[in-house]
Amino acid sequence: MKDEHVVTNSFVQSKVPEYCYQCVAGPDLLNVCVENGVATRIEPNWKFGDIHPAAGRVCVKAYGLIQKTYNPYRVKKPMVRTNPNKGHDQDPQWKEVSWDEALDLVAQKLLAVKAKGVRDESGYPRLAVTFGSGGIAPAYTGALPAFLGTWGPVDFGIGSGQGVKCYHSEHLYGEFWHRAFTVQSDTPRTNYLISFGNNNDASGGVLGVWRHAQARERGLKRVQFEPHLSVTGAHAQWVPLKPKTDAAVLFALIHVILHERDWRKECDIEFLRGMTNSPYLVGPNGYFMRDPETRKPLMWDPAENRARPFDEKFQPALVGEFEVPGIEVGPDGAVMEHAHAPAQTAFQKMIEHVREYTPEWAEKISGASAATIRQVAREFLENANVGGTIEIEGKTYPHRPVAILLGKTVTNGWGGYETLWGRTVLTTLVGALEVPGGTIGTTVRLNRPGHDRLASARPGPDGFMDQPLNPTDKENWQAKPKIRNAYQTLVPLANNSPWSAALGPAHLPWLFMKDPPDHWPRPTAPDIWFIYRTNPAISHWDSDTVSEQMSKFPFIVAFAYTPDETNWNADVLLPEATDLESYQLYRIGGTKYIEQYWKHQGYALRQPAAPSPVDCLDLTDIATELAKRTGVLNEYIAALNKGGGTGIALKGKDFDYTLPADVPPTTEQIWDRACRAATRELSKGAVEYDLAWFKENGAYFVPFPEQDWFLHTAMAAKGLRYELPYQERIWRAGQELGNRLHEQGITWWDTQLHEYSPLPVWKDFPDIWARIAEQFDKKPDDYDVWLLTSRSMQYSWGSNVGIPVLADVAKNVKGHFGVMLNAQTAKRANIREGDWVWIESPLKRVKGHAILREGVRPDCAVTLQQFGHWVTPVAKDLNMPNLNQLSPLHLALTDATGSGADVVRVKIYKV
Amino acid sequence: MSRWGMVVDLRKCVGCQTCTIACKQTNNTPPRVFWRWVADCETGTYPDVQRSFVPMGCQHCTNPPCLEVCPTTATYKRADGIVDIDYDLCIGCGYCIVACPYLARNIVFETAPYYEAGLIPPEQVLAHPDRVGVATKCNFCFPRVQEGLARGLVPGVAPDATPMCVGACISNAMHFGDLDNPESNISRYIRENQTVRLSEELGTESAIYYIVQ
Repeated sequence: MKDEHVVTNSFVQSKVPEYCYQCVAGPDLLNVCVENGVATRIEPNWKFGDIHPAAGRVCVKAYGLIQKTYNPYRVKKPMVRTNPNKGHDQDPQWKEVSWDEALDLVAQKLLAVKAKGVRDESGYPRLAVTFGSGGIAPAYTGALPAFLGTWGPVDFGIGSGQGVKCYHSEHLYGEFWHRAFTVQSDTPRTNYLISFGNNNDASGGVLGVWRHAQARERGLKRVQFEPHLSVTGAHAQWVPLKPKTDAAVLFALIHVILHERDWRKECDIEFLRGMTNSPYLVGPNGYFMRDPETRKPLMWDPAENRARPFDEKFQPALVGEFEVPGIEVGPDGAVMEHAHAPAQTAFQKMIEHVREYTPEWAEKISGASAATIRQVAREFLENANVGGTIEIEGKTYPHRPVAILLGKTVTNGWGGYETLWGRTVLTTLVGALEVPGGTIGTTVRLNRPGHDRLASARPGPDGFMDQPLNPTDKENWQAKPKIRNAYQTLVPLANNSPWSAALGPAHLPWLFMKDPPDHWPRPTAPDIWFIYRTNPAISHWDSDTVSEQMSKFPFIVAFAYTPDETNWNADVLLPEATDLESYQLYRIGGTKYIEQYWKHQGYALRQPAAPSPVDCLDLTDIATELAKRTGVLNEYIAALNKGGGTGIALKGKDFDYTLPADVPPTTEQIWDRACRAATRELSKGAVEYDLAWFKENGAYFVPFPEQDWFLHTAMAAKGLRYELPYQERIWRAGQELGNRLHEQGITWWDTQLHEYSPLPVWKDFPDIWARIAEQFDKKPDDYDVWLLTSRSMQYSWGSNVGIPVLADVAKNVKGHFGVMLNAQTAKRANIREGDWVWIESPLKRVKGHAILREGVRPDCAVTLQQFGHWVTPVAKDLNMPNLNQLSPLHLALTDATGSGADVVRVKIYKV
Repeated sequence: MSRWGMVVDLRKCVGCQTCTIACKQTNNTPPRVFWRWVADCETGTYPDVQRSFVPMGCQHCTNPPCLEVCPTTATYKRADGIVDIDYDLCIGCGYCIVACPYLARNIVFETAPYYEAGLIPPEQVLAHPDRVGVATKCNFCFPRVQEGLARGLVPGVAPDATPMCVGACISNAMHFGDLDNPESNISRYIRENQTVRLSEELGTESAIYYIVQ
């Protein structure tokens, strides 16, 4: 027969091992088949099938890497702009230059800016850098961060958009409550899963899909509350839900358990009493009642009929109101002394708090029936296995196989705090937080050490974990923002780690450049803006405004794969070596991000698989060249030696692979030393593998203890409590923040300040999005459809909109390429399948093809991902409408954590 | 002699199209030609709606309708049950495309590139001029299976001896093996689960079994 060539391995001349990290549900491991010097095919790296939790497989996106590499529309050489004018209607008129010319130009600009001072007249860094998706870029940036680290202050907070790409508020509250920057289910053991819009089967990566599929096979039940029946909802009980009403349902679920069920028998009393702040006494002003001398929070001892500090050994009352002497500590050190004051336990306060949130109340708000809410509450309790235990690696743990997951639009923007609180508190009622089968975290990013969640759980005040909030007291509050998104000034929860800049209100720089606020440093554009793997002109809300603002930036350096809508405004395009063309050693396994909890941890290598078809340069080489040309070579080398850029310190207890000063290292030298240091460190000196070994073998692993999946291991060992359900610290921080802002005359953040509350209350969140029309002098009632986004596995995160084979296969999945409408709603509007329709918000209107579905609420419409390209080759021909063009960029849509959501009210009508 | 077949667990499939793209790359099929793809099906009316994903492709029928209508005997059935096409004999009449109830066959009359700018190097390296103007479809990656067998590997167990769509599947929904071996992986799946075959009423006796619950 003819075709043996194609499907056998006989003609493959070599297989080059690589990792794929096109989404934060990785890395996964693959082989590139190389024939006649051409990378022809991708294969899973089945060799690691016993280590990789999904048998060594890779998802649909990885297979697109072949076309990505050989895309004929790539930027083939460095380019400089010759048209001094910028803007949508200004062709850049690119001119090819040599790498030397391009790098010299960038270096000269950097030196000129440095000579002026690294901060501008408003106090903002003159150099800004935006990387697409904080979790992904580091797997591809090589040593570039080491160069940036030599610079001094850099503004990493000019955002490329949140919404569909980010869990934002979950990152902040998740890390605060249970070191869960990313929150997951312990899928291998979960039996009952409640999801609010979590689209795991599209965005959970290979491990997510694999694990949930195995879980379904053994009987996992999933209930999916969401406005449209997603890919993930296909295997669940679908409960159509009105957008932004998730918190109402969660409050009602808590109500059912606390007011309609026998919670004393069905909840995990031991957990609530011993591992939460439920028994802490709350004084009449809403703060914990404290011992006047030690300031320790008090609990009620029913045996001795008196209040005692939380850290004494006794069995405290979980409910009740008591007359207690003590003090409350309010904002700015205010002390309220009580000889005797009525104090309720935090749990009692919560019981009272949710009394009004009945299922019938939630039904009217959310569309989920009261009967369904009661059914889910009952099934949740029935599956919680309260009292049950399980043995893991010889240690006995509580076994609570129920979990709750949230989607991105659910956790972001108004209603995010309330939803996250509802989810986490509901979990604690049955003790299913951070234990086998339950809701767990995988990642820490705001605390240290970043690679060890359990070690990051350090004892802090009041019996909780330590997590410094950004200061809100008079002496230490940062009145003058140090970067444009002002995360230290406005968002106490964002903390101040290297990740915090990306977690502040990253859209505020764009908004403030357009509409400067009162009593605030004058918004300025950065003198130099580096961009990598990001396209905010497409991915940011009100993308037209963002495009207009960036066209005013004086000098933009774009690491560029193809021309796109953002680098259309650039001054220099630097074609960097892409996924299969460059080197990087990256940490793999352990616990991190989405569904990444492994029984192994190690390092994996990316490497050039075949000669590149364009004149590109490895980002590590670019970093070294820029360091050399800007006179910071030694600082750069020192940063590399400390692990800057690579994430791997080159000197350890028993090894020293540090690079010598003064000599520009090659990329291979840097990664060779990183390989050696990483393996020495990870194996505790047992092995040392160099770059050549990794090029041949792909990855190195050592075992990772399964016990380390569960924060319970550390919490129990350290005697710590979860800071739930009562949010005294957050409430106090919010009040102090209000004081500070008002002292500056700032009132434009007042609405956000109302979000800070010890027990969150329901507000009419959907109405916030409805009423935004009034800001544009339009009538809210004219916009009767909720436009939402949803993930596409084929396109999420991968910077791969220009890969035609992905469009080809994505067409088999509903929603590509148009706007999904409820079929009956469409019929009434005389809209048929495939018709062109206008989607109009108060901001703008865009066109799209109608895709009619029954699995969409009648008052909703859905567009997948983010498209609307007008420059990017291939993508610009997809005719895909983009929610971001319709979604206003407005302070009224910004919550207290600085996040917004991919939600916009529109009207839809036939073209 | 083995008789090759597949079991697809519809409880697990999420319609991600990883099998689709792995097949396309392995077999270098041109744009819009799918030897393997996953249908995204919606049934019911709002709010009682079900969504399911069904991997599709040649069913390698025991009684293939495509074979009956082929005027040149280009379509033939191998002893191991795989239905295949001899491109030298195929005249591209398209009868088989109409006859196949599973929409599994394709025909193109020119080699189209994915990028409008033209064929890229991997497309050129893997080019198949013999597939222009003839019917094409899934062949269960039989050269891959044969090569694996020659190396002593067990198809359906060893990825290198298994159709690429199965080895690539990220939900472990697809399985390949010997239908005639009662101890094979897929025989066990069929024995232990409720399965259906597509359009059984047509009497095609497909070699792909779907686990539905």
